[in-house]
Amino acid sequence: MTARLRPALSVLLAGAFFVAAPGCDGFLDINENPNEPTQVPVGALLASTTFATGETTFGLGNLTANYVQYLASPNRASASDVYERISLDETWGNLYDVMADLKRLEAQAAAEGATDYAGVARILLAYHLASTVDAWGSAPYSQAFDPVETLNPAYDDGEALYNEVFRLLADGIAALEAGGSTLSPGGDDFVYGGDTDLWVKTAYALRARYLNHLTKTDAYDPQAVLAAVDRAYTSEAESATVAYFDDEINPWADVAIDNANLFLGGWLSEQFVQAVDGTTYGVVDPRIEAYTDSLADGSYVGTVNGAGRGGAKEQGERVVLTTNTYYARRTAPLELVTYSEVKLVEAEAALRAGQRDRAYAAYTEAIRAHMDKLGVGADAAAAYLAAPQVSVGAAALTLDDVFREKYKVLFLNPEAWVDARRHDYDYEGFVLPANAELPEFIRRIDYPDTEYSRNASNIPEASLTDRIWWDQ
Amino acid sequence: MLFATRVALATGLLVLLAAAHPARAQERAVTGTVTDAETGAPLAGVNVVAGTPPVGTSTDADGGYRLDVPAGADSLVFSFIGYERLAVAVDGRAVVDVALAPASRVFDDVVVTALGIEREERELGYSVQQIDAADLQEADTGNLVSALSGRVAGAQVIDTGGAPGQGARIILRGITSLDPNADNQPLFVVDGVPIDNSTDSGAEGFNSRGFSNRAVDLNPNDVASVNVLKGAAATTLYGVRAANGAVIVTTKRGRAGTTRVEVTSEVGAEGVNRTPEVQQVYTQGFGGAYDPTSFWCCWGAPIDEARQVTPDLQFYNNWEQAYQTGYTVENNVSVSGGTDAASFYASVGRLDNGGVLPFSDWARTSARLSGAVQPSAAFRFGGTLNYVNSGGDRVFADRFNERLVYWTPNQDVAQYIKPNGTMFGYYGSDDNVGTNALYDARFATYNDDVDRLIGSVNAGYTFAEGVDVTYRLGVDTYSDSRFETLQGPQGIAGENALDSEGEVGETRISSRDLTSTLNVSLSRRFGDKLQADLLLGNDVFGRSYDRVNVSGSDLTIPNFYTLSNARDLTTSQFVRDQRLVGLYGDLKLAYDETLYLSLTGRNDWTSTLPVESRSFFYPSLSLAYVFTETLGSSPVLEFGKVRASFSQVGKDAPPYATNVTFVSPGAFPLDGQTGFTQSGVLGSPDLKPERTTSFEAGVDLRFLGGRVGLDATYYNATSRDQIIPVPISNATGFSRFITNAGSIRNTGVELVLNAAVVETSDVGWDVTANFARNRNEVVEIREGIETIEVGRQSGYAGSTAYLRLLPDAPYGAIYGTSYARYYAPGEDADPLELDPDRPLLIGADGFPVVDRTLRILGNMTPDWIGGLLNRVRYKNVELSALIDVSFGAEKYSQFNNFFAAFGIPEYTLDREDTMVFEGTTADGQPNAQPVYLGQGAGPDGRDYGAGYYRNTYRASTENSVFDASYVKLRNVSLAYGLPASLVGRAGIDRARIRLAVNNVVLWSPYPYWDPEVTSAGSGSNATGFSGLAHPGVASYTLTLELGI
Repeated sequence: MTARLRPALSVLLAGAFFVAAPGCDGFLDINENPNEPTQVPVGALLASTTFATGETTFGLGNLTANYVQYLASPNRASASDVYERISLDETWGNLYDVMADLKRLEAQAAAEGATDYAGVARILLAYHLASTVDAWGSAPYSQAFDPVETLNPAYDDGEALYNEVFRLLADGIAALEAGGSTLSPGGDDFVYGGDTDLWVKTAYALRARYLNHLTKTDAYDPQAVLAAVDRAYTSEAESATVAYFDDEINPWADVAIDNANLFLGGWLSEQFVQAVDGTTYGVVDPRIEAYTDSLADGSYVGTVNGAGRGGAKEQGERVVLTTNTYYARRTAPLELVTYSEVKLVEAEAALRAGQRDRAYAAYTEAIRAHMDKLGVGADAAAAYLAAPQVSVGAAALTLDDVFREKYKVLFLNPEAWVDARRHDYDYEGFVLPANAELPEFIRRIDYPDTEYSRNASNIPEASLTDRIWWDQ
Repeated sequence: MLFATRVALATGLLVLLAAAHPARAQERAVTGTVTDAETGAPLAGVNVVAGTPPVGTSTDADGGYRLDVPAGADSLVFSFIGYERLAVAVDGRAVVDVALAPASRVFDDVVVTALGIEREERELGYSVQQIDAADLQEADTGNLVSALSGRVAGAQVIDTGGAPGQGARIILRGITSLDPNADNQPLFVVDGVPIDNSTDSGAEGFNSRGFSNRAVDLNPNDVASVNVLKGAAATTLYGVRAANGAVIVTTKRGRAGTTRVEVTSEVGAEGVNRTPEVQQVYTQGFGGAYDPTSFWCCWGAPIDEARQVTPDLQFYNNWEQAYQTGYTVENNVSVSGGTDAASFYASVGRLDNGGVLPFSDWARTSARLSGAVQPSAAFRFGGTLNYVNSGGDRVFADRFNERLVYWTPNQDVAQYIKPNGTMFGYYGSDDNVGTNALYDARFATYNDDVDRLIGSVNAGYTFAEGVDVTYRLGVDTYSDSRFETLQGPQGIAGENALDSEGEVGETRISSRDLTSTLNVSLSRRFGDKLQADLLLGNDVFGRSYDRVNVSGSDLTIPNFYTLSNARDLTTSQFVRDQRLVGLYGDLKLAYDETLYLSLTGRNDWTSTLPVESRSFFYPSLSLAYVFTETLGSSPVLEFGKVRASFSQVGKDAPPYATNVTFVSPGAFPLDGQTGFTQSGVLGSPDLKPERTTSFEAGVDLRFLGGRVGLDATYYNATSRDQIIPVPISNATGFSRFITNAGSIRNTGVELVLNAAVVETSDVGWDVTANFARNRNEVVEIREGIETIEVGRQSGYAGSTAYLRLLPDAPYGAIYGTSYARYYAPGEDADPLELDPDRPLLIGADGFPVVDRTLRILGNMTPDWIGGLLNRVRYKNVELSALIDVSFGAEKYSQFNNFFAAFGIPEYTLDREDTMVFEGTTADGQPNAQPVYLGQGAGPDGRDYGAGYYRNTYRASTENSVFDASYVKLRNVSLAYGLPASLVGRAGIDRARIRLAVNNVVLWSPYPYWDPEVTSAGSGSNATGFSGLAHPGVASYTLTLELGI
């Protein structure tokens, strides 16, 4: 046997040339992913998160625009019009992806002494967290973003999350005001191009917005709102918006282009059209020309939510978003929070605090600034501001007036749905959609299917008419 | 036109080949008698052949024959079924009488096992099933995987759809991985070279373009045999890559002697094998009102009423209008031959298939050359080279069918293009809105073009008796070039554009697998009873994959598809490399042809696991005992063997699963900035290998002189520490987490029964039946992970169906919404299982209440599968029929959900009825409230809105989960061998005509479509969803086989 094995062994040794010797060389050390890096600079994270903020805001606005009846589906009984349960998996996923990136950005920036980056990250995190709470109520946060600790993060109460939002805003301001950042944002900031002063003002604008969400709660403090407003924007140009480009166009422009090519969408609701064409309030709002294009005969005809377009043609018989319109231009910036919104927050808080003059001044300034932004001529703006329905005077100013104007200022912005709920949908002429699946106005979104299939045990029970914490 | 040309070409080729026969030389007559060597009885019908090219005859009733033997032919060959073949030298005799010995039966069948080692079946401690070339000819499919349907016990073969070149999927002994994306299919090995059988379905959304599984590149005409190794014991030597079993393909080789030419030509036609039944009463519109401008296809008025508006209104069955008759044309020529020292096989084949779905086609051209040379007694070498070009126009079948759902039956969908080249719509003021399925199929294209080379070189040297070394280097490399177009606006006034911008895309994939295998085998006999064989080996495997994609949108010049015509370009690249090194040994001991023991061990080193866990070892042990050798055989039980094996096999991770990485979102680079976001996949730095432990036991019994055989196997395999990308809550910051996350078990039995029912010289009837029952159970999933989602498919109104895994349940439970059942106070519903037998809970509105809690509504895994093959031979005529059965699987029919939403099924004809739903109201009383099923105001004056089917029925997933059991007449093949006396004159040795029909009979309770089809693609495990997939097809083919 041994004698016979000898030639075999010699062949084995010769064959060792072909045989890779495992474990002792780099032959197997090829598992570094060549497609995806494991470390990226803070700028790359700021670029992706600031730009993605447009996506998350659009994702929510695309649904809530039907809830607040800015838009109506051309198809009868479409799900978003009639309050059918909708699973917003993609937007929910985007919100948490962006928040996870912001968490990482904050930590990495803090570690690198890039305090400006850390500050912006906190402000954007506050924005996303509040957006999540405002749509869904309770949401995972305190146990979130830490898969090593748990894969099933519990849901935190909305009120607790609001405390976190205010803390994040305060910490964001502190970081930005600390100075001495080792790195400064610039072109990687798709909101302000690196202007940290405007980020500080945005933090105050958001603080004012979120404090003002608390009107139905005991915690509401109009003076605190006004204090925040004082440190927020001073002009429309300072508003927080996400930039778009020729090769990456505004998502509403996408909707408008699709519609022009008969992939129908972006049709204005009759309810909104009537709010600005004089039907509801008896005064024509000149901004109507910026929201949409008139029909060939110069008229404006909207679509009834839930009813579909009926016998109307696909084009030319109902008003729609087009790339001529202010909010759906190809490179229109997508608004996060604006000066005119903050002015109306100021008007509401001042009115609730009994400071009527301040309230009225802010109300008038909001209309003026917004009209100016939308390109309304000075004469037309003055005429609208002089109309008796608008120029009610400080003594007669009501919350209804403020909400009416804020509804126009927040066109397509998901913040409008927060107002609608705070105001109990109590706009003039606002009614349930045709074919509604709920007996009353919708109050929240159901958690997405992804959560039901991956984190079911933590999801709180909730129906679409249950009110979130600040809406009780 | 094209079809006719191809047929003409094929016929011409045949005539040419037939005319090329050599002139006949001088002959002399030989006569004789053939008898049975045991009984001495004369044998009728024995084939007697001589010479090159051979001439032949057969014996008469008295066993006599007379043959004119060509000059130069010095021997006669006698062959007859059931007897040993016998060659006799003529030696100038005029009379040659012979006695044929009955063939010893299948007891010494040789099968091909791991590493291509041929072994007698009796030695094996595990079960192997062999499919030979005759089976493949009968199966008559261009895809080798489809050809295994119903023929192998324990192999679940799924034809994912009938599109040309569409992938087929094979699972042996159940799904072994909890990873929803895992490849659960066996390793394919061709002549010792593992080949890629992946299905690259391309970018997200293109899944249902019916891409091919890459084994489709093998030309079944080149295959001599397929051996299916099912259990881990059979595949341990192949290591991690064969953890799901192995399919060992052996191609045809040249044999010493005459050069043989084989020509096969086939033409075929195919059609949709099952078309949905649709209602043809209610017209376009909504709310019971006819409206030719409505988006809604079928919620309008009854046709009689609608004709008052449009007098010539009629119905078209667009499910028939949209599909057409497909065709197949195939030609193969092979030449083989050799001497004692060298042999070769060469072939060229071409297959063209035009689909039933318009504008879809696929073709394969293959060329193969293999040769073996033995220059000395000790040294041998050889090689194979197989070049394949395959690909075709793939149509997005799901989108095609979705368009058909929307399209009104009051308009012929086949009228799709206007004279000005723009698309017809079906709704809107002048039928100018809506996408036409056929137009979309024609102008939203995607084609693939694969160039593939599979080759190997091998050499062997025998140093001394019993000491042998072999080395093989194999390569499987291909480039797959894919081109995509989408028509944008053509700039024609009033056009109904297919897309608002237009797109063009190009994807280039290159893949290369290299396998190096070195084996040293030593064998020695100890005494006259004990035989020992030892095999030691090493293999090294490397795979590189590179995919580059450029897609452009917003085309400047309409209908001009090149990347420079696109305003907006996005690019992506993906590179993947993995390597594996294995060392293995196999010791076999055989004692007195009675007892066989095999002991194997293998250690793998993989590149995909962390350094500390990349090396892992696993053993196997198998035992076979031929008890009839010791206990003696009887006429009843001629042969009996029991076998048992225990084995382990390890498995590594997919590449790059150990890190957390960042990816660049599609919008970037943007405005001069790069952007990165954390990848949604969370890798683990502490992964360890998966391990599957399995036990198998079986018996192999042959009765009645071997005419009846029974092979039974029991197995049990548990896979632990499975590496799974589990979907996790987005709130973790990730959407998937790759981890060792659970354990899954498969237990089952397999039975194969074969019988030669009738066996005479003129008539033969063989029956083979197989049965397999696999029980699958998810044993555990990592703490903190509630379920694993295998897939989901959308349904209207929140009725999305899910496939999920959860502990203690079998793989592939289908979840969804259901009608709530009534539970009295104090009774609790099971949190997961739906109890369909309980009464429905009827709401205050008189309709069933939809329960939004996701419950188990069925399971996609069949309870059992089986096949029954009958082969009948009468003289020159052979008839075979294969019945394929799959029983007890459920499937979610997205068709039903969509159909219900649009008022298409026949059951929605009750829409004008008022009825009382049988069930119980919340207070426990029987429901007595009559409700109207239609839309809008009912006869009772109440507003029913969008009506029962849209508001209630479609919201319950339960309504669209159906039993997908089926019995299929998979294949019937009738072959007639032309008498040698007839074809011999044309210089042809053998000529056969075969008529085959596939999938012509389908029995299934599953509605609308063939229950087998799925839009998930042959690489996907989510076979529990129909999608709106490509229909199955029935085919009819006529084949002419010639041997020259």
